[in-house]
Amino acid sequence: MILILSSNLEPTTNEVLMWLNKMNKSYIRVHEDEFFEIKIINKKFFLESYRNSFFLEDISSVWYRRGGGLKFKRETYKNPAVNLNMNEAYHWLEDYVIKKLESKKHINKQRNSKLNKLLVLEEAQKVGLLVPKYFLAENTDDVIINKMITKSYTENIILEAVNENYDGILYTAVVAEHEKKPFFPTFFQDKIEKEYEIRSFYLDGKIWSTAIISQNDKQTKTDYRKYNVQTPNRNVPYNLPPEIEICLTKLFQVLDVNCGSADFIKGKDGKFYFLEINPLGQFLGLSSICNYSLDKEIAQFL
Amino acid sequence: MRYFNLYSSILITKGANRILVSDLQRNNSELQSLELCEIIDEFKTNSIEEVFAFYDDESKEIAQEYLDFLLEKEYGFVTAGDWDRNFAPLSLEYVDYSEISNLFMERNELAIPKNLIQSIDNLQISHLVIFCKGKASLEDFLKLEKDFENSTIESLEVFAPYQTEIDEAFIQHLSQNASRIYNLVFYNCEKEPFKVENTFKFELLFTQQNLKINSCGKVDLKYFDTNIKKVLEAINHNSCLNKKIGIDAEGNIKNCPAMLQSFGNINETSLEDVLLQQNFTNYWNLTKDDINVCKHCEFRNVCTDCRAFTEQTHINKEGLDVSKPLKCGYDPYTNQWDEWSTNPLKQKAIQNYSL
Ligand code: SF4
Ligand code: SF4
Repeated sequence: MILILSSNLEPTTNEVLMWLNKMNKSYIRVHEDEFFEIKIINKKFFLESYRNSFFLEDISSVWYRRGGGLKFKRETYKNPAVNLNMNEAYHWLEDYVIKKLESKKHINKQRNSKLNKLLVLEEAQKVGLLVPKYFLAENTDDVIINKMITKSYTENIILEAVNENYDGILYTAVVAEHEKKPFFPTFFQDKIEKEYEIRSFYLDGKIWSTAIISQNDKQTKTDYRKYNVQTPNRNVPYNLPPEIEICLTKLFQVLDVNCGSADFIKGKDGKFYFLEINPLGQFLGLSSICNYSLDKEIAQFL
Repeated sequence: MRYFNLYSSILITKGANRILVSDLQRNNSELQSLELCEIIDEFKTNSIEEVFAFYDDESKEIAQEYLDFLLEKEYGFVTAGDWDRNFAPLSLEYVDYSEISNLFMERNELAIPKNLIQSIDNLQISHLVIFCKGKASLEDFLKLEKDFENSTIESLEVFAPYQTEIDEAFIQHLSQNASRIYNLVFYNCEKEPFKVENTFKFELLFTQQNLKINSCGKVDLKYFDTNIKKVLEAINHNSCLNKKIGIDAEGNIKNCPAMLQSFGNINETSLEDVLLQQNFTNYWNLTKDDINVCKHCEFRNVCTDCRAFTEQTHINKEGLDVSKPLKCGYDPYTNQWDEWSTNPLKQKAIQNYSL
């Protein structure tokens, strides 16, 4: 039995489920608003929500897709001392369930679905990937105007697009003038003169890449994600050089993440610059343009 | 030295005299000359400078124009020193999870029998087309939507005869309560009951034509559709019949309701059982490369391959009809589109089908 944790209408999940149906693999889809009660039946852990129930030991693999992971129901007790005590008991039971699930075959984990972008950059350099020079600062004193970009290191801001069930993606912007006042620590990075960008989907040691060419197009010069609807960027199948793929695989291993998308820039200097990893991004758009069938790959893996 | 790299999402289909350049990412196609195809081929194995050197001064200019055209259309890009060998080919494999994607039914009434609804669900069919010969009331339409409420059906397309009951209120009501109907055609309608504007959840058409099931299968430029999934399906399978089931008005289960061969009747056998019959899928893998004339046509990867109405001239070793679709007026050898129905060579087949 496959356990899938996802948000209710997430389109990628729907596609993967269709493949699981085709492969005759059974699954349980858990929604984001679902809370589980932990019970013990016949000495076995049993989880129950208003729409699903299962024995913990029957779960063979877990796909952590969206929605903040497994959530639990807790009773509250009037007596504060009892409440404290019970809360601790709950904590250990829940901890057991989560760790048990993580020890099974899985795609991503509840605990590291959110990566610290700053740590990722450090680890990327350690495994041998080239990262454009960056620093954090509270002023623009060391920023070279028009040669550096600024980017968010927080989790992606979710812009709910009107008729799509997809995440918004942050834009990167070139720093065009000095700020007079100091501000909150901000991320600055050398702007790489790019030939094109590459998005690579990683799953358990395998990599599928797409080149995203937007350079011809002034409107999308800094970041291909600022879509130009009239002439969309050119997205085509691509292979990263093997040495880069080896480093990227190492990076995913070090981060203990086995599925996600990585972004690179191929510079005008011919070098490959690593930008970031997003463990939960949408990838089916590029997958169908490149005919990679990544939904099928995920279903096969589970 | 500079090199031209063609993007792998650009598919070139060579016809007898012309090529069709299909941009599988941007979903459009355009006709071009064989000459362009030749120069693209030369760019695959030679640098731009080398290719230009093949030509005299006058032709060189033309070659330059072709290159400018390719770049302007963003069909490719230029690199210095070598081709960018990290760009990978596009796999032309067709991958799809559905067992049956499409059910096409001819019906005397709109209501669908219960066992059929069950089969549709078991087979996880996503697209349903109903050609209804009898009158359909608002209740019938609402019932249809309701029957598929919790099913895998994502889209419903209905053709029904027009009747006076159908007015703006009828359609309004249906639009408010429909979630799966995406295309609705009322035929045999002398005059539109009201001016159709784009305010409904579905496409709506009133037509004077007296449609019949054998009105299907017309080939025309306006039906050609460049869509990566459809094109990949056409390269690997029959572009009309792959993963399709047809049921005619008498309940006979077929590849398409307009075809002759029946594999059983819904009153006696289930769709699931019919699918197990080996012969049922025979036409699924017949591609345009096997079809007479079409195999030399530049439109073959964006065209629908009708097997119900053909010129009835060629049968292959397996007994499959590999003749050109009857309702196509295009000749890839002359590049002329003519009216198919008056073509003297087609009259015999037209009579055979009593069209
Ligand atoms: S085979 Fe011909 S008649 Fe049948 S559905 Fe296809 S195009 Fe229509
Ligand atoms: S039916 Fe055949 S000849 Fe006619 S347009 Fe289609 S592929 Fe070309």
